[in-house]
Amino acid sequence: MRVVPSICTFCGVGCGIGLRVEAGQVVGVEPQPGHPVSQGQLCAKGWATSFAIDPQNRLTSPLIKEHGVFRRASWDEALARVASEFQLAMDELGPSAVGLISCARASNEDNYAAQKFARAVLKSNNIDHCARICHSPSVAGLGLTLGSGAMTNSIADIDQAEVILVIGADVTENHAMIGARMLRAQARGACLIVIDPRKTRLARLADIHLQVRLGTNIALLNGLLQIIFANGWENQPFLAARCEGDEALRRHLATLTPQQTSAITGVPEADLLAVARRYSQARAAFIAYGMGITQFQSGTNNVVAVSNLALACGQIGRPGTGINPLRGQNNVQGACDMGCLPNVYPGYQDAADPRVQAKFAKGWGTPMPAQPGLTSLGMTHAAQQGELRALMIMGEEPLLTDPDQNQVARAFAALDFLVVVELTLTETAKRADVVLPAAAFAEKEGTFTNCERRVQRIRQAIAPPGQARSDWQILGELAARMGYAGMRWVDAEALFAEMTALTPIFSAMTYPLLEQRHGLQWPCDAAHPHGSPLLHGEQFPLGRGRLLPVSHVPPAECPDAEYPFFFTTHRLHFHYGCGSMTRKSPLLERETPRGLLFMHPADGSAQQLQDGQGVRVSSRRGWLETRVQFTDDLPRGVLSMPYHFREAPCNRLTNDAQDPSTKMPELKACAVAVQALALGVAPQIQAGAAQVNHYASL
Amino acid sequence: MQAYSLDQVERLRSHLAQDRQLYEVRPDGQGGQHWQLVAAGDLGEFLPLAEPPPFSAKSFFFPERELLFRFSGGNFYSALPVVCAQVLFGLHACDLQAVAYQDQFFAADPHYQTRRRVTLLVGIDCLHSCAGGFCSTLGSGPQVHADNADLILLPRASATADWLLLVASSAGAAALRGLDLPPAQDDWQAERNANSVCVTQEQGAQREVLEGIASLNQGLIDTQTWDEIGLRCLGCSGCTSVCPTCSCFAPLDLPLELPTEAGSQRERVWDSCLYQGFQQEASGQNPTVSAGARVQRFWSHKFGDSFKAQFGSYGCVGCGRCDRVCPGGIGVHGVMHKVGACSS
Repeated sequence: MRVVPSICTFCGVGCGIGLRVEAGQVVGVEPQPGHPVSQGQLCAKGWATSFAIDPQNRLTSPLIKEHGVFRRASWDEALARVASEFQLAMDELGPSAVGLISCARASNEDNYAAQKFARAVLKSNNIDHCARICHSPSVAGLGLTLGSGAMTNSIADIDQAEVILVIGADVTENHAMIGARMLRAQARGACLIVIDPRKTRLARLADIHLQVRLGTNIALLNGLLQIIFANGWENQPFLAARCEGDEALRRHLATLTPQQTSAITGVPEADLLAVARRYSQARAAFIAYGMGITQFQSGTNNVVAVSNLALACGQIGRPGTGINPLRGQNNVQGACDMGCLPNVYPGYQDAADPRVQAKFAKGWGTPMPAQPGLTSLGMTHAAQQGELRALMIMGEEPLLTDPDQNQVARAFAALDFLVVVELTLTETAKRADVVLPAAAFAEKEGTFTNCERRVQRIRQAIAPPGQARSDWQILGELAARMGYAGMRWVDAEALFAEMTALTPIFSAMTYPLLEQRHGLQWPCDAAHPHGSPLLHGEQFPLGRGRLLPVSHVPPAECPDAEYPFFFTTHRLHFHYGCGSMTRKSPLLERETPRGLLFMHPADGSAQQLQDGQGVRVSSRRGWLETRVQFTDDLPRGVLSMPYHFREAPCNRLTNDAQDPSTKMPELKACAVAVQALALGVAPQIQAGAAQVNHYASL
Repeated sequence: MQAYSLDQVERLRSHLAQDRQLYEVRPDGQGGQHWQLVAAGDLGEFLPLAEPPPFSAKSFFFPERELLFRFSGGNFYSALPVVCAQVLFGLHACDLQAVAYQDQFFAADPHYQTRRRVTLLVGIDCLHSCAGGFCSTLGSGPQVHADNADLILLPRASATADWLLLVASSAGAAALRGLDLPPAQDDWQAERNANSVCVTQEQGAQREVLEGIASLNQGLIDTQTWDEIGLRCLGCSGCTSVCPTCSCFAPLDLPLELPTEAGSQRERVWDSCLYQGFQQEASGQNPTVSAGARVQRFWSHKFGDSFKAQFGSYGCVGCGRCDRVCPGGIGVHGVMHKVGACSS
C-alpha cells in the first residue's frame, strides 16, 4: 500500500487528494491536511475517486465501428484511419472542415497538445471545449471590464472577507470545499449573502437570501448599483483613481427606482437596500458567481453587471475582495489558459494577431492559420450544414451536456467522421466512428489549474488500463502520421517546458517549482516568480477598470400558454457532469433521487400530481419521461432538472439561444410543459429519444 | 509488563522491518501524512507526530474495498486477502482503542481476521495533546492500554534520555527476539501517568462534550436541533471514512469476464450512514429520510450508552478527525456545542 499525492479530478476547486494504491489499483483516497485549498477535507465526489476510475468498464483498446458495431483495433490501424479521414476532409474542403473539441478535465499538457494539433497539423482554429457553455462569458465579460477573465483573488481570500456575496452558484454542492470555507468564514462573523432563484443549502444557511426571479440578474445588479449611487455608498476615490465610465453608468441608472427593481426581480426593497449597504460598506467583500450568471443569452452582460458592482464599490485588488468566477471543471481554467479556444493561443495571446501567429509559427516550425475558428456550438451548426466533416472530441459528452440534444445528435450524424477519445464508452463515444482509450488523471503525470489560477501537479499512481494512453501522447502519434514531427515529447515535463517558453504568464513555472509550493498561481513570470495570489492590486490589464452600462434582457424563451413553466438546470452534489465517472460508485448512484424533475409542491397540487408520479416534460425541442420530485427549493412556476443522467437528459429540452459575443447557450432558462403519466405507470427511459436514436443509426 | 530501555527507536523499527512489512506515518511533502512502507534499511529519524494521521489503522483490517467472492455462474469461489506479516509502527492510543473496538465487531469476520492476525501493533503514548483530541475525557488515551497493543513506546522526555519500550503481549515479546535491550530503570509508570496528566490538562474539561453525551443519552435533543445540524451535512462521507470505529459496508457486484460464461465478483465497500440512500428501502420508504435523523443516528452510535455497554467503551475514541474532515463544521465539537445547550 502506498499513497500518491495528487489533485482531485472533479471540480474546479482543485483539492489535494492522496491516492491509495494497492496491487496496481487506486482503492481509495485520503484527504491532505496541509493542502492550502482542501485543508484536509474532500467532498462526496472526491471520496468516490476509486470507483470513478475503476478499470471495470474502461476502454482498453482502440475501437473501430463497422456496420454499426465496434470492433477492437490496434493503435496503428486506428490512428491510420483517423489520419486518413481528417486528411480527406481537409483535401475536400480545407482546414475549416475539421475541428477539435478538447477536454476541460484533461491536463494542461493534453490541452496544449490539442490546440497545437489543431493549429500546426490541421491548420485550423476550430478548437474549443466546454468552457463555451460554462464560463466563456466570464472570459469575455471580464476581458471587457478588466482585461482578464480569471478569478481576481484566491480561495484563501474568503478567510479575510467581511461580506461574501454568492450569485448564481450552488457552492456547497458543486464547489464543496469552497462552500465549506465560506461557512467557516460565516462562523467567524462574515456576512454570507446568496442571490439565487432556488433555496439552495447555502441560501438556507446564509444571513441573507435574495430569491431573485429567474433571468433577472442584470435588473438586480443594476438595482443594487442604483441604490448605492443614490446613497453615495460607492467608493469614489477608487472610481476616480482606478476606473472609467462611472458617469455613463450613473446616467444609465438614474431613472431606475428600487420599486422598479423589486417589481422585476421579485426581491423586496428592504432586502435590496440591506444587500446594497452591506456589500458597498464592507471593509472587504468577496463575490463568487457561477452558471446562474453565465448560462444566459445575456451571459456576458450579466458578468459585466457583476463587475460594475465590484468596481463601483472598490471591492477588488485587495485581500478579501474580488470578482471570483467559480470554474466548474478540474481543468477548465487550464483548458482556456492553454488556448483551446478558437480566438486565443496559450496564455490568451490573440489568434488574430499576425505577430502572435508569427511567434507560434516560429516556435512550432510551421505556418499558423489566419482564418478565425468556430466555437463548439459553431461546429455543431457547421456539421449540420455539411461544412464540418471530421471532428475529434476529447473527453466531453455533448449529447448530455450541450443544449438541444436532438440537434447535437443531428450534427453527429451529419459528420463524415467522428473520433472520440474517452475513458469509457459514453453516449457520445457510442456515436463515434473510432474510439481511442485515454488514461485517467491517476494514470499520468501532468498539471491541472484550479479556479484560482493555481497550476498544480498531478502524479501518476497506477498504469493506464490495457492500451490506454495520455491524450497528448495520442495526439503526438497522430501528428507524426500526418507529417508533423514536432509533437513527440519525451514526457509531460518536456511538453510543459515547451509551453512555458511560449506563454508569458507561465514563463517562470517549472515542475520542481510547482512541487515545492503546492503549485503556483499565474501570472508566474520574472516579475512574479512565486505566482500571483492577488490580481489588479495596482492596475488592471486594461489600465483602468471599465464600468459599462448594461440592461436587463429577459430570457429568449419565457413561459407562455403552451409551455407554462420556466425550466432551469442545476447539479446535484453527488454526481459530476454526465455521470460517466461518479455513477460508477454504488454509493453515489444510490443517492440519485427517484424523481429528476423538481417541482414546488404547490405547483404539484395545482397540476394534480403526486410526489414521485411519472410525468412527461416537454419543450419546443423535445420531450422525456421521468418522475416528479417535490421540493420547496424552487419558487413556484419554475421546474428544474440535473443534467447528470443519460436516462433523463434534460438538455433535450434546453435551447441554444446564444449570447451574441461568446455563443454561450441559455441553458438556465427555457419554457416547458408537464403532463402526468397515469398513476402507477413507470416513465420510459427511451421515451422522447426517437430523434436521437434515429440519428444514432445513420 | 516487561519494560526495556531503547537508546534509538530506529533500531527497533529496523529490527521489526526485517521480517515484516513495516508501516509508519510519513509526510509526503504535499501536505499529507500517510502510512507508508518503511524498509529495514531506512534509517530516517522516527518523528512521532502530535496529530493522528488522517487515516487510522482501520483500513489495514477493514479496507475500503475487499473482494469477498467470485461467482462463475455455477460455483462460488471464496476470496480471502493475500497477506504477509506486517507491523504498524507508532499508533496513538486513540487509534489502538479503535482497533480493539473493531476487533470485537469483526471478531467472526474471516477477511478482517486474516489481516489482523498477521499484524503487530506498536503503540506510542502521546506527550502532548493533538489539536482537537479529547481522548482523556473518554478514557481512550493518551496512555496506550496494555490490552490494545503488542509493544508500547514512550518517547524521550529529553534528547539524552532513552525511549521506553513496554512488552504488552506474547507476540510483542516474540518480535523482540534478537534485539538485545537493557531493562528500563526509571519509574516509567510514573512518567506515563505524568504525561497523561499533562495531556488531560491540555485537553481541558471538555464540558460541552460531556454535557452533549448526557443530553444525547437522555433523549433531550429535539428534532429541530438535529435538523439544523443536518442542514450542514453535505453527505460527503468524510466522517465515516476517517472515523476509526466506523464499520458499515455495502456490496458491489461487478461483472467478471470468463472465457465460457459470464460471472460476477462481489466486493465489500465502505458505506456511510450519512448518505440518504443508506437506509432507503426498495419500496422507497426511508426511516432516516432527513439528514438530521442520520446525523443523530451517527452520534447515537458513537456516544450511546447501550453501545458502550455492548463494546465496553464508546464508539468515539476522541481522535478529533471528524472535526477536521467535516466541510459543514459539524464534527464532534461542532455538534456537541450545538446540542449541549439542550441539557440546560
